[in-house]
Amino acid sequence: MAADVPKVDALYADAPCGLIVTEADGCIRHVNRTFCGWTGYEAAELVGAKRIQDLLTVGGRIFHQTHWVPLLRMQGAIAEVKLELRHRGGRTLPIVMNAVSRSHDGHELHELAIFVAEDRHRYERELVREREQAQQLLATYMEAQQALASAEARLRLAMDASEDRARFAEQMVGIVSHDLRNPLTAIKMGMQMLASPTISGEKRERVFVHMEASVERARQLTDDLLDFTQAKIGSGLSVAPKPINVHRVVGEAVHELRMSFFGRRIVHVEEGEGVSSADPHRLTQLLGNLVGNAMAYGSPDHPVTITTRVDAEHFVIEVHNWGTPIAASLLPVLFEPMTRGIEAGGERRSVGLGLFIVKDIMRAHGGRIAVRSDEASGTVFEMVFSRHGERIATG
Amino acid sequence: MNIEARNNVRVTGDGPATLVFAHGFGCDQNMWRLVAPAFADRYRVVLFDLVGSGGSDISSYDRAKYESLDGYADDLVDLIDAFGKGPVVFVGHSVSAMIGVLAGLKAPESIAAHVMIGPSPCYIDDGDYVGGFSRDDIVSLLETLDSNYLGWSRAMAPAIMGAPDRPELGAELTNSFCRTDPEIARQFARVTFLSDSRRDLDRRVSPSLILQCTEDIIAPVAVGEYVHRALPRSTLRLIDNVGHCPHLSAPQACIDAMNDFLATVDLRDGR
Repeated sequence: MAADVPKVDALYADAPCGLIVTEADGCIRHVNRTFCGWTGYEAAELVGAKRIQDLLTVGGRIFHQTHWVPLLRMQGAIAEVKLELRHRGGRTLPIVMNAVSRSHDGHELHELAIFVAEDRHRYERELVREREQAQQLLATYMEAQQALASAEARLRLAMDASEDRARFAEQMVGIVSHDLRNPLTAIKMGMQMLASPTISGEKRERVFVHMEASVERARQLTDDLLDFTQAKIGSGLSVAPKPINVHRVVGEAVHELRMSFFGRRIVHVEEGEGVSSADPHRLTQLLGNLVGNAMAYGSPDHPVTITTRVDAEHFVIEVHNWGTPIAASLLPVLFEPMTRGIEAGGERRSVGLGLFIVKDIMRAHGGRIAVRSDEASGTVFEMVFSRHGERIATG
Repeated sequence: MNIEARNNVRVTGDGPATLVFAHGFGCDQNMWRLVAPAFADRYRVVLFDLVGSGGSDISSYDRAKYESLDGYADDLVDLIDAFGKGPVVFVGHSVSAMIGVLAGLKAPESIAAHVMIGPSPCYIDDGDYVGGFSRDDIVSLLETLDSNYLGWSRAMAPAIMGAPDRPELGAELTNSFCRTDPEIARQFARVTFLSDSRRDLDRRVSPSLILQCTEDIIAPVAVGEYVHRALPRSTLRLIDNVGHCPHLSAPQACIDAMNDFLATVDLRDGR
């Protein structure tokens, strides 16, 4: 014969789940033995004495207020809510809970069934931990991706730069070859003339002068190339500053330039007095480049004016010419190598390294160069140096 | 941008002024089901869900935008602009009361008066200020949310036992209450409980009614009193209620207090 089924009261008291009845505000009205056993309380310590929320962790209490209560009010039941209860001894007890709100003769009571959920809790903790690890891995991966992308971008920039360099070198070889051919052709012709037994003494003299000028042009070109290479690839042009009288150094350079550009007017204006520190050879080279440009691009009917001005701290060299201003589009790249304007004669005079070298001479002196160019006041290159060889803030 | 879909906006009733109701952390516009209908005969009533909650458009949820209450306040300014007719009274529960304050500061003409239900400008104790929670408590809440990865956030919705005493609730409606995406719930909890809007509370805030429950662990009486002291144009009404949702557990007391307050507010169209 089958054993008797226990009485309902005993079933309730020792049910395999915690059973609680509370008022709508959470006040505990009834608990079963299973719940007491799990939480470590005597029934008398709970019934009429505590609210269900008093047994929750703080997080659980907030959740009770923001989710549990409203949901129970609105839909009358909630299911599979996971919470942590505080055991009388202080430790926490993970549980899963179902709850219904039921009206007993118009009085609303909440009926709760709870199950201990240690394993599920551990499993969820593991899931959370693994999710965190996955997120960290993802973050690491994203970081690596980003690093890779930025490395690729840098590589692309470096490749672009080296391609630019290669293209630049090819172009320069082309221009230099072209520019060197003219003086060499002239020299060869001169030699053939000199080889003729019938050449007159006077003509011979003239041919010599021309050949010398051609050699000078070729030499100038190779000098520029050497300086350029040093400025571009090496650590920059070297200068050897020493105490000089700027007016005198520039005056001598202007004198030589007048001989080279016979028939053109070059005016030199001097202002102020004093000894300055600079490399006189580089100043002469700089002036040669700028005056050469002024001759090539400026109005041939007006003088080129060179001003040297000395004050307490600085000395300034200005080279001014009249004529068509420098195109606005050219100004930002004016000092870059191989930038050229439209030359008066339409024939290229140089490789276009002049202003790049000028800029590097200024850099080596710690000085500053600026250019202004317009129809009304012409074109002026202004170079400011410290008299004592100090660096001047660029601006 | 379609505000109506984004915030699941529902408009009922009509009248010379508009009441805009905003739910707090954890639920959605269904929270107003016992209160809002009492005003629809005299006012235009606008209900909506904060983005990320209830029936809002989850695809509009932008983690960066909703990293602070400001994102929600911007939405509210847009919403009032689009749906407000005549002067607007903003009714905000819990964190939404502060969202309303921020919106009022962003668009000073937009809100004629506030009704704040269980407002708290800062949940964490700070020196003399009693917010009700320590930082550790809030960390515990966030952990609770985290460890309920399989629990609350999704499984809350399908109430398998049905609603024995609520035959009027169809299954469809039952399942739609307080839907939350777990990731969004985590961020919203962090933004809500770590927010500090105390510096936004001053005389710039429009006339306000503070509805404070006598026993509320989320917004204790001391917090309601703090908000009342900080707002020169405010009225404090205590509601005899245990819990944080008097609009569900003591709806008539809320309605009465709101009616008393609305009678004192100048709701002629000044906009």
